[in-house]
Amino acid sequence: MTVTHHWQLTTDTRQLNIMDRRELIKMIALATGTAFVGGEFFLSGCKNPEAGTSMEFTQDDIAFLDEVGETILPKTNTPGAKDAKIGEFMRTMVNDCYTASDQKAFHTGIAKLNDECNKMHSTSFMKATPEQRKSLLVKLDSEAKEYAGKRPAFDAEQIKREKEEHEKGNSGFQREKWTAHYFSMMKQLTISGYFTSEEGRKGALRYTPVPGKIDADLPYKKGDRAFAGLD
Amino acid sequence: MADNTFDAIVVGSGISGGWAAKELCEKGLTVLLLERGGPYEHIKDYKTATKEIWELPHRGSTTDEQKKKYPVIHRGWAAQEQVMDAWANEEDCPYTEVKPFTWWRSYRFGGRSILWGRQSYRWSPMDFVANEKDGIAIPWPVNYEEIAPWYDHVEKFAGISGSKQGLAHLPDGQFLPAFELNIVEKDVAARIKEKYKGDRHLFIGRVANITVPHNERPGCQYRSRCWEGCPFGGYFSTQSSTYPAAMKTGKLTVRPYSIAHRVLYDKDKKKATGVEVMDTENNQTYTFKSKIVFLCASSLNSAWILMNSATDVWPDGLGSSSGELGHNVMDHHYNIGAEGEIEGYEDKYYFGKRPTGFYIPRFANIGSDKRDFLRGYGYQGSASRSGWNREIAELNIGKDFKDQLCEPGEWRIGATGFGETLPNHENRIYLDKTKKDKWGLPVLAMDAELKENEIKMRKDIVADLIAMFEAAGVKNVRPWETYYSIGQGIHEMGTARMGSDPKTSVLNKWNQVWDAPNVFVTDGAFMTSSACQNPSLTYMAFTARAADYAVKNL
Repeated sequence: MTVTHHWQLTTDTRQLNIMDRRELIKMIALATGTAFVGGEFFLSGCKNPEAGTSMEFTQDDIAFLDEVGETILPKTNTPGAKDAKIGEFMRTMVNDCYTASDQKAFHTGIAKLNDECNKMHSTSFMKATPEQRKSLLVKLDSEAKEYAGKRPAFDAEQIKREKEEHEKGNSGFQREKWTAHYFSMMKQLTISGYFTSEEGRKGALRYTPVPGKIDADLPYKKGDRAFAGLD
Repeated sequence: MADNTFDAIVVGSGISGGWAAKELCEKGLTVLLLERGGPYEHIKDYKTATKEIWELPHRGSTTDEQKKKYPVIHRGWAAQEQVMDAWANEEDCPYTEVKPFTWWRSYRFGGRSILWGRQSYRWSPMDFVANEKDGIAIPWPVNYEEIAPWYDHVEKFAGISGSKQGLAHLPDGQFLPAFELNIVEKDVAARIKEKYKGDRHLFIGRVANITVPHNERPGCQYRSRCWEGCPFGGYFSTQSSTYPAAMKTGKLTVRPYSIAHRVLYDKDKKKATGVEVMDTENNQTYTFKSKIVFLCASSLNSAWILMNSATDVWPDGLGSSSGELGHNVMDHHYNIGAEGEIEGYEDKYYFGKRPTGFYIPRFANIGSDKRDFLRGYGYQGSASRSGWNREIAELNIGKDFKDQLCEPGEWRIGATGFGETLPNHENRIYLDKTKKDKWGLPVLAMDAELKENEIKMRKDIVADLIAMFEAAGVKNVRPWETYYSIGQGIHEMGTARMGSDPKTSVLNKWNQVWDAPNVFVTDGAFMTSSACQNPSLTYMAFTARAADYAVKNL
């Protein structure tokens, strides 16, 4: 099981590298026996010095996030994100684990997503049909990926600026940190929340909490589910 | 016997301290084992070990508050929700980074024996003569033949699983049955062997996880959740192994919440008489007396205790007469390697979670292999199918996307190098007298960095791994490197090195402080060079040997 972060599911090169880092850290984790990885420092390359007070999530927000999650990972013959109480999970993670600026981006994102839905389908997200919701999120997903593509240039510019300021003697200067696209945050939290939930692990993966043995050469055919815990 | 008098005092309850306590107790001594942190009981205190991931509030993530409170732990993969209680409080226990230094400490009974990587390799004859051959630092005062029986001794008790390889530069040991490479790793191993004509080897990591029941421990259940503490006694720790053995003798007393900060020294007898302890609960100091003292507080903290001791005789502390106390800090540099994908195994998977990966032992500067740097490196890694974390290019949202994520993804393989760090007098730790910890004790300042030899080596670590992976058919091989500063290998060593000459070393060949022979230092501080193998097994062997010597010479 891996702890995931909101940068993870974007496609620009830097982000991909970051994702590879994750995988690699996982391999190190395997070699060193640490099953859980939370290498935020590697992933973000920085720590945010400021934490924020949590902004309030309303019951409407939770219901809204449940529907966003359900659109990304819908109920099929296996449980969906809503079954895994994805809205509540997002609230906990954003409140406790996000920095102040990421919290702000996330909360603003809820309203933005709804605006985008009005623009695209002339209806609010909660009133939209599953098809309408899906086409909206496909569009936002591609927008989020494009946005993430700008990160390397942003980081390079900030690093350069920080270096210049430090050389000028302004040693207290701290570069601006990249804030991920709100939809990347929601999607990442949906995936990590779902696959670490009881519903997701027992219902959508093969659940074997105490393997008790190893099989190093197990036949696999397309469609066989992954083992929970081998992720 | 007065309440505060024992035959022996052992400072620190981690891997080395646990061994010292066990060996000394079994030889009939009364032992006081001091631990600066609180109790941490086998099984009962492994709070998350039997919890499901969804029962953890943040599913394994650390909170923003924890990130601020534990900035050093957040420099890498050590920051996990399940183990945050394990780490030393960074506000109470600060240190000074003259140069970047990552110090991952666990102040709790059992120390880092709960949290270690468990990789267990012997040093070879080559490693013990390297300094002398290369004219680096000082020669080791001990050779392989002297330590080999003690490797046998500790391996048999600890339970090391591994496969015999017959390599002169990585001797075989007393192994329990090995874990198994998966099908991809086996094929990669065969291709590397063929390509390099038997000069390079990839095999399953030798690890202190038991594959069969051993010494009343049931053994590994293939959960790979070692760091949370193993309710099955699946791996060697103080809790699972040395502590119960020591307790069985009826000779052991454990005192938690006790920072041993000073060895008491009798100028006339030129011997230690005991230790002074700061009780972290009531801030009182207490004195305990003993015939011998074993410092096993971890490499840096054992040096710190010596620096605080006998300063009326030697201003820089007990053992400082050589000028080497606190110097020659070493670690293994890592967080650098390569990774890629491997095709043709889409119909293969695996079951169960191994607590180890593969190991590629050193080949650089061995035989006809010559480099523009000294010494070498090994690799640790694994091959596995990616999980739900992966990117799926074409599918983003909805049912098909979900179905894909529920299946294992492509096979990947990756590894990190573990490089030898040369001892260098310039790399040192010392007391920062301007800063105090929560209990008013001086803190350590770290002034160490990778030097030219290590920096050159890192280039070859990447180049060699890329070449081996490509030779083995790995596709899209990419180098990677993440943050590393000295200490982050969690293999700190060298701060009280052993040698044959009191003018150039802190300890003699029996781990005795030259200036106070009834003080033994048997954690990583004694190491005269670092080799590139994970060092804990070597600490165990030297600790057991020193305990045997100490008792015979009482």
